[in-house]
Amino acid sequence: MKLTIISMVIASALVGGAFFFARGNSQDTALSVQNVSIADGTQIIEVKAKGGYLPRKSIAKAGIPTILRFNTSGTFDCSAIVRIPSMNLTKNLPPSGITDIALGSAPIGKVQGTCGMGMYPFEIDFQS
Amino acid sequence: MKTYTFHVNGMHCQACVLMTESELQDVSYITKAKTSLEKHSVEVTGDFGDKSLEVIAEELSNVLTKHGYSLSVEKRVRAKQWSDFKIAIPIAISFAAVFVILQKIGIVNLVNTGSVSYGTAFIIGIIASLSTCMAVVGGLLLSMSASFAKEGDKIKPQLLFHGGRIASFFILGGVIGAIGSAFQLNTSTTFVLSLIIGTVMLILGVNLLDIFGWVKKLQPTMPKFFSKHALGVSKLNHTLTPALVGIATFFLPCGFTQSMQLYTLTTGTFLQGGFMMLSFALGTLPVLALISFSSFSIRNSSKAGIFFKSAGLIVIMFALFNLINSFVVIGLLPPVFNF
Repeated sequence: MKLTIISMVIASALVGGAFFFARGNSQDTALSVQNVSIADGTQIIEVKAKGGYLPRKSIAKAGIPTILRFNTSGTFDCSAIVRIPSMNLTKNLPPSGITDIALGSAPIGKVQGTCGMGMYPFEIDFQS
Repeated sequence: MKTYTFHVNGMHCQACVLMTESELQDVSYITKAKTSLEKHSVEVTGDFGDKSLEVIAEELSNVLTKHGYSLSVEKRVRAKQWSDFKIAIPIAISFAAVFVILQKIGIVNLVNTGSVSYGTAFIIGIIASLSTCMAVVGGLLLSMSASFAKEGDKIKPQLLFHGGRIASFFILGGVIGAIGSAFQLNTSTTFVLSLIIGTVMLILGVNLLDIFGWVKKLQPTMPKFFSKHALGVSKLNHTLTPALVGIATFFLPCGFTQSMQLYTLTTGTFLQGGFMMLSFALGTLPVLALISFSSFSIRNSSKAGIFFKSAGLIVIMFALFNLINSFVVIGLLPPVFNF
């Protein structure tokens, strides 16, 4: 009986801790990070890939030629494999460096992407 | 001609049904034997003369002992022990919470280097075994080793798994280094592979819970063709299977393994590539060994029931995690997990 109570207390503490961490992370996706720039008529969206993608949500302009630029530094986890199912795109990023993916002119809407294993998501919101 | 029913101990799969039936039918005075996996019993028809039930049970047991089975007149009581769940469920939930915390802390940020030496590969291996790859390889290993341990296997299957994995990483890593192209399965193949693995893990996990007897029938084993014609059925299942699974872990969709493969491409020679992947595999060994050998060492303790139920729950969670993620990667589901 004691063992049951002890194990339940420990479990609850750990779950609480996990939620605390989870909440903490989703806070900063609400802030907009200035990672989108336009140069010579081409839009560049910069995303850092290591243990997930940062920023998780990008806001970009629809209808202009767009390049998705991934920045890796010592990235060996599944973030090194970028997956955008809606564009049937799978790209392997080198452990360190900059990789450009041409997206063309995107229509208005959200583009969802994940890491190779599906658990680190990122999103680009193409607006008018 | 009389028909008696005895209880069989030590059966856990379809191959055992064939084995027991064929061995018993080889006994001179038995004309027919029919084994039921679900009921853990065997019905034997034959000319027993005046022998008592106990004597018959003992004689037939002797025929089956070398394969690990025994017959008894009385059913060995297998109470479902629901009380084990009171502790198993919190344990499984804690494990999941620890897993989530580990990812959130950003354990992957410990590696900060451009070029990779064998030592770095080893450390990457350690980090990989503590991260999300644990859900893939670790989950599969846990489901396999807990299942084997539960049925009373010795340490050989574990050693074969680890041996197979390390050997395959070295050899295949060497091949990648030599020919300069990685073994990357395309997206659809990865999806199918993940589905198969996720489903197998789910079945093994449910079996570990020891609640639904009928699920045992679904447990995958070598196809009947092999079982009937090959000698030593159980040997095949317990020798070849763990080694094959160990080798197959090279191809499992684990982000770290794939990234390491890509890096190995650049090494250029068989030996360098081989040692690179070998260092990585050795890095993953401590955690994987812990998983498999803890299953083995706890199997006879009184707490074994709790351990196997916790393992079953953890395996089921990992199986669902992997299955859901496979659907996300292929695009059939929007991203579910947000690490």
